[in-house]
Amino acid sequence: MTSLTTLRLRGGRVIDPANGVDGEQRDLFVRDGRIVTLAPGEAATEEIDIGGCVVMAGGIDMHTHIGGGKVNLARLLMPELQRAGPNPIALPGNPLELASCGGCTPGTLATGYRYVEMGYTAAFEPAMMACNARHTHMEMGDTPILDHGAYVMLGNDELFLEMLSRGEDFQCIRDYVGWTINAAKAMGVKVVNPGGISAFKFNQRKLDVDENHVHWQVTPRQVVHTLAKALRELGVPHPLHIHGSNLGVAGNIQSTLETIAALEGLPAHLTHVQFHAYGTEGPKKFSSAALQLAEAVNANPNVSIDVGQIMFGQTVTASGDTMRQHAQSGLASPRKWIGADIECEAGCGVVPFRYRDQNFVNALQWAIGLEIFLLVNDPWRVVLTTDHPNGGPFTSYPHLIRLLMDRSFRAEQLAKLHPDVAANAALNSIARELSLYEIAIMTRAAPARLLGLKDRGHLGAGAAADIAVYREDADREAMFTTPAYVFKDGALVARAGCITAVPVGGTHFVAPDYDRGIETMLRKRHAVQGGVNFDQLAIGHDELCSCCNGGRLLPAACFETTS
Amino acid sequence: MSALESPPGPVAVAPWTCPFCPLLCDSFSVEAGADGLTLVGSECRRARSGLSRFGMRPASAQPQIDGVACDQAAAIAAAVRMLAASRQPLFGGLGTDVAGARALYPLACRTGAICDPAGGAALLHGLRALQDRGAFTTTLAEVRSRADLIVCVGSVPNERYPEFMRRCGIGEGAAAEVVLLQAASASKASTASTASTADAAGAGVDVVRFDGDLFDVVAMLAACIAGRVVGDAAGALGALAERLHASRYAVLAYDAAQLPAQGALIIEALNRTVSTLNQRTRAALLPLGGSDGAATVNAVFTWLSGLPLRTRAAPAGLEHEPLRFDATRLLAEHAVDVLLWIASFGTEPAPPQVDIPRIVLGHPSFAAAVQGSGSVFIPVSTPGIGSAGHLFRTDGSVLMPLHALHDDGLPTVADVLRRLTHALHGAAA
Repeated sequence: MTSLTTLRLRGGRVIDPANGVDGEQRDLFVRDGRIVTLAPGEAATEEIDIGGCVVMAGGIDMHTHIGGGKVNLARLLMPELQRAGPNPIALPGNPLELASCGGCTPGTLATGYRYVEMGYTAAFEPAMMACNARHTHMEMGDTPILDHGAYVMLGNDELFLEMLSRGEDFQCIRDYVGWTINAAKAMGVKVVNPGGISAFKFNQRKLDVDENHVHWQVTPRQVVHTLAKALRELGVPHPLHIHGSNLGVAGNIQSTLETIAALEGLPAHLTHVQFHAYGTEGPKKFSSAALQLAEAVNANPNVSIDVGQIMFGQTVTASGDTMRQHAQSGLASPRKWIGADIECEAGCGVVPFRYRDQNFVNALQWAIGLEIFLLVNDPWRVVLTTDHPNGGPFTSYPHLIRLLMDRSFRAEQLAKLHPDVAANAALNSIARELSLYEIAIMTRAAPARLLGLKDRGHLGAGAAADIAVYREDADREAMFTTPAYVFKDGALVARAGCITAVPVGGTHFVAPDYDRGIETMLRKRHAVQGGVNFDQLAIGHDELCSCCNGGRLLPAACFETTS
Repeated sequence: MSALESPPGPVAVAPWTCPFCPLLCDSFSVEAGADGLTLVGSECRRARSGLSRFGMRPASAQPQIDGVACDQAAAIAAAVRMLAASRQPLFGGLGTDVAGARALYPLACRTGAICDPAGGAALLHGLRALQDRGAFTTTLAEVRSRADLIVCVGSVPNERYPEFMRRCGIGEGAAAEVVLLQAASASKASTASTASTADAAGAGVDVVRFDGDLFDVVAMLAACIAGRVVGDAAGALGALAERLHASRYAVLAYDAAQLPAQGALIIEALNRTVSTLNQRTRAALLPLGGSDGAATVNAVFTWLSGLPLRTRAAPAGLEHEPLRFDATRLLAEHAVDVLLWIASFGTEPAPPQVDIPRIVLGHPSFAAAVQGSGSVFIPVSTPGIGSAGHLFRTDGSVLMPLHALHDDGLPTVADVLRRLTHALHGAAA
């Protein structure tokens, strides 16, 4: 059905890096949920004057823990955070919103509202367990307005490790990866502490990149390389999403560099790298390895990253990395935490945490994150994240943007931190200020490209009309906190920080081809060892629709493979 | 030809997920015959009892107002009048699936209702322990493939979860030893002799007892595990602690519904035991519970709102009150003025007989319990029998799909709730 209405957004400064547009004043036209160009003689039927505003595609958060088992456990663990001081969190004044708490573990409803008010229109859950995929899709379906998708976790499931261990045919492993992506309706594959979550179940407490899993006798290097190769051969647009070995451990830069080497040139995305860029120099044996990491990223064009910037204050860390979360659980603040071994395929650890600006390690983590942002040359390979909620809640993005764009503001903040960090951080000597163009790359154009979303993250003709219109403001934090208008698929969904419509978001996923012969083996195995009947494992399209609350299904195309 | 006239045969499109207990077994099937629905492949008492409430004919049940049959529109209108007039509604029972819970939340927000499931006290044991110290848990597939020692705390799960042992792989080649840990006072208080307890526990189950109540037992076990008990004070628990320390992967299973009042304290001690064990070896908790939709509704409300059940959207904001918002107490103290009771599985407790207006969305068999003035009954479809749906398994990580055995012709809980919310919206406008 073709709409009779055509909206003209008049006079905005367009920043659209995917199409090389940098601040040019031009009109945008929207019809049927898409950006269009008007034929000669055609006119818009509606018009909004956005003179003095900056226009970008809607923001895309490609790594944010918005739904699924561990996120809901974090909510259950921390009811005391769902308060406004001594009072309950007030009910929404906006009749379009239902009551939902915010903070670092927001309800799905609040997650949708707050992202959209900030100009974001899509968010991706990075750690979906196959056995928990229905639940994850349910939560994302209950996250209003935002489009969403998830990466399914592999590389700690006993089947994959067993296949690798017995030297199974690579084709077989590849088909298993393809089957899993299809069954879970995933957008990609994430590996978390490769082999380490499983190893912890066998009572192993540490796993370096070239160290053997105590039971399966395979190394993280093998796990990473095999999964990266499988995704390449399956033609999955988003390459392997890697949460590396030894998260949070002083000196883990070595593991991170070894993980990059393990790829042998295969494409991959290293996530929340701030937590993986630590050295052992200095009196406290904890130092920034941001420069080493940035040099490796600059030298390896097959690698992209997101940062996982930390923000000071209370949050809760929710991770699949049971091994590391158990090791860190003594630092929990408040002192409580949840861990779980899950279905012979994954695990989870939820540890509340308060990042303190007067704590040397926390202050240095903050500086390391910013150093990484500013030392990597190619913004197309750096995505802006806090690993919500692990480094801090997504609502802190505008503050983070200001830190990156405003050197004097950054210096002021740095000066307030633990004195050793304030005095000695390499960040002191970095003059770079990111431009609006670079911010637009890191928050929408790059994530869209890294995910293979051809009609998102840009404002060219044919793109989905996911648009954020920001009022120009020298205070970039204020500017990015409250866009003047946000459009989702052409509908006005937020105006000046107020939700104006609550459509159901769509679900992004990929459906790679694989040899279905693998199902015979999987069926046999599940009959003996599984907790669920094999025929129940895969989510069909109709069921996905009901999980996702009737939102649109948005399959992304796989690329042609030559193998 | 009706289903009853057709020869008996399997009716479920395999696989069928049994909705009647939170193990949500999906390796059995169902046959329809003249006697109704019969479970095939298991002797599970709970599934058989659940299935006995259903036939294969479309349900003839009708809505009722004050015990008198009416059409659905009239029942909805009457229910809306009750809700609109209420100053403090209570939503109880909560026997529904994900779709029902998703539809219930907007109505709870709109009416400011307090929501507490049947068996809320048991749900809150686990929740309060979690909020206090957290937990380390495991799941059925892990237990099946990894556990070498399973300690069942307080009670034998197979009494209430007949397929428990099979789901843990016991007797199917798995090597796990099973121990039943009991308070000696519990067996004295009951009429059961030692021999019959051992029988109930089943062959191959070691029974370990310790003098005192269950609080004493788990406190002493935690102390033993931490090496803080000297001499013979621990009795049989000393040997059990040694077995736990020697185990590669120990599992402590408990059924929250079988715990006494303040059961959260028992779970907390078990958490501590697991936590201490995990410093050197591996161990985890396996919680059992959350039947009849309780755990599922809790999960859905938590993700939508950020807070678990026993929360209400009060004028001051979202209030979570794990102690104050106890349905049983609120009803006893006349602190609520209308009750919406949801019981779509048929296995829930019957709607409470209280002297405030009642709206019941339930299995047709509950009609008899909703008579008299000030009552509205709307029969609803049962997920996993008359309609599809989703429920969380006991371990919380797996959301199982439920499949319809047939179309029972009844509306789902979600259908009715959406109509109620819509009509209430219209009434207020």
